[in-house]
Amino acid sequence: MNIETHNHGETVVVALSGEIDLQHSPSVRRQLMELMFERRDVLVDLARVAYIDSSGIASLVEAYQMARKNTTRFVLVAVSQPVLRVLQLARLDKVFTLADTVDAALAG
Amino acid sequence: MNSSSAILPAGVADDLELIAEMTADFARSRDIEESLRVGLQHIASRMEADAASLFLMDEGELVCRACFGPADVTGLRLPHGQGIVWRAVMRNRPQLVRDVATDPDFAHMVDQVTGFSTRSILCAPMSVRDECVGAIELFNKKGGQSFDDDDRRILQALAASAALALINARHAAAMAEQEAFRRELALAADIQRAMLPAAKPADFPIHGVNLPARGVSGDFFDVVELADGRLAFAIADVSGKGMNAALLMAKTASLFRCLAKRLDGPGALLAAIDAELAETGSAGMFVTMVAGVLDPATGQVVLANAGHEPPLMWREGAVERVEGGMPPLGIDPTLFLGGCPESRIDLRGGALYLFTDGLTEARLNGGMLGSEGVEDLLARHHDLPAPERLEAVIADVAQDGLALRDDLTMLVVEGRPMSSNALDRLFPARPERLCDIRHAVAETASRLGCPEPLVNDVVLAVDEACQNIIRHAYGGTGGDIVVQLGREDQRLVVRLIDFAAPVDRAKICSRALDDIRPGGLGTHLMRSIMDEVAFVPPPPGAGNMLQMVKRIGEP
Repeated sequence: MNIETHNHGETVVVALSGEIDLQHSPSVRRQLMELMFERRDVLVDLARVAYIDSSGIASLVEAYQMARKNTTRFVLVAVSQPVLRVLQLARLDKVFTLADTVDAALAG
Repeated sequence: MNSSSAILPAGVADDLELIAEMTADFARSRDIEESLRVGLQHIASRMEADAASLFLMDEGELVCRACFGPADVTGLRLPHGQGIVWRAVMRNRPQLVRDVATDPDFAHMVDQVTGFSTRSILCAPMSVRDECVGAIELFNKKGGQSFDDDDRRILQALAASAALALINARHAAAMAEQEAFRRELALAADIQRAMLPAAKPADFPIHGVNLPARGVSGDFFDVVELADGRLAFAIADVSGKGMNAALLMAKTASLFRCLAKRLDGPGALLAAIDAELAETGSAGMFVTMVAGVLDPATGQVVLANAGHEPPLMWREGAVERVEGGMPPLGIDPTLFLGGCPESRIDLRGGALYLFTDGLTEARLNGGMLGSEGVEDLLARHHDLPAPERLEAVIADVAQDGLALRDDLTMLVVEGRPMSSNALDRLFPARPERLCDIRHAVAETASRLGCPEPLVNDVVLAVDEACQNIIRHAYGGTGGDIVVQLGREDQRLVVRLIDFAAPVDRAKICSRALDDIRPGGLGTHLMRSIMDEVAFVPPPPGAGNMLQMVKRIGEP
């Protein structure tokens, strides 16, 4: 599992890769919470995530809830097939804001 | 030789040739006696003697081993100090007797027995430096005259070379014998290896390894299947090393094999082996041994210990020594007359390790491994399947290029019931091991014919269930999870067994879906993916068993 962040003006792109499971989701959560406390707009690039479990999804949900409270943007970008499958199973695919590419999300 | 015959006097050249020929005879021949006879014949003809005898030293007496001429006294023994032959040997100098009538040491007895009429004798010791191996005696020079001083010098030289040739031949024979012994030792090692049980499939409950420090081992282990399905096992270490230890080991192993099927219980078995060893044993040798019987259906073990290292019982990361027992076998036939105490162990969810002191006394990082070191090694490798686990422990203590100080034997007895599951493996309940569980489940599910998209879903469901065990059942304290995966017709069946306190099932339920707090999400995923998710009665000794079923193929 790897986390990379890039700034695009006011917006931060968090690119996750690898397997986000119980071992690695705490660091994803820490990173996202940090950005939420800074009230940043956040795009999470999930293109290279091969596996995610409920603990990883929970980190995304927690960030989503804070963003909604803060009225900042929180968008899941380029959601990979394994992640989309879990979002669908959890019926969260309609809850999150999804975008196909980082550029599209930045333009939106 | 041809070139030397040109410069040497003819007689000397002949003598050198004779010596060379004799040495070659001895080197070529496997039969020293035959070489002696041929050599003596050559010498007698060269020296123009009517008769000749060759004596060799044998347990303080000189024994005639070859004769030439009309009288054959082969086998004649000359007690110490008797006759001219002994005089030559004791003085380590040739003896020339021109007329035996004037020599008080001449033994007339021989002439009386053989009818030969001795006039003159020339006798030279067969010696190299101070080592005298015998003597050559010549009788009556042809043509009626006596042997002379020239003859004495020649016979001295010939007898010395015969001695040298004989000593060389004896050394060669000893070396051949040693080589034969080495070959026999290798053969014995092969036979011993064949006595050890063959490697078993990974899900067999008992596995063992034996690593001899030398060619043959004083250790053994064995597993015997009894008629009722129970398994009798034993590990033993014979005192001492080398061939006699190996022979006693072979005897003990045979007794175990033979008696295990007839006697009920390891206590009676050890007592019977002791009685047999004490009756026919060799002094000062004894055997330490643990024998046991496992019922694979129930995971119950009965153990008896005769002077052996206490076995280690492993369960949920904790190690306990199984103390108690009797003195070693073969020491005193009265010790086991009252029987041998047995201990009963519930092995479910655990493993029992038996080993010889070759393991505890192995050198690791400059010190002796000790029983704590053994526990550390077991902890390090405990999540490997049993055969690999033993290999890993052995590899740690018997590193390449380091000679073992002692034979090393190790046996593991596992309490898990044998199963027909395609996957049945114990994992530590830790977040960083979930990835191993996912890989094992994915690999097994594919192998069982689960379609690819479903494999990922099943992996997710198992992962979520394991997370629940890690976080809720063990509450972060750690423990083990047994992951079982098998196919029953069109159903993929997953069973997860933990050894924690039974969970309160009321708390394990999906939350309402509009409540997106993380807690119930995992359980929701499990229920969304699998067709059945239910706690079922766990096997005895376990805490909880969660069973999940997914229909694959036709519904």
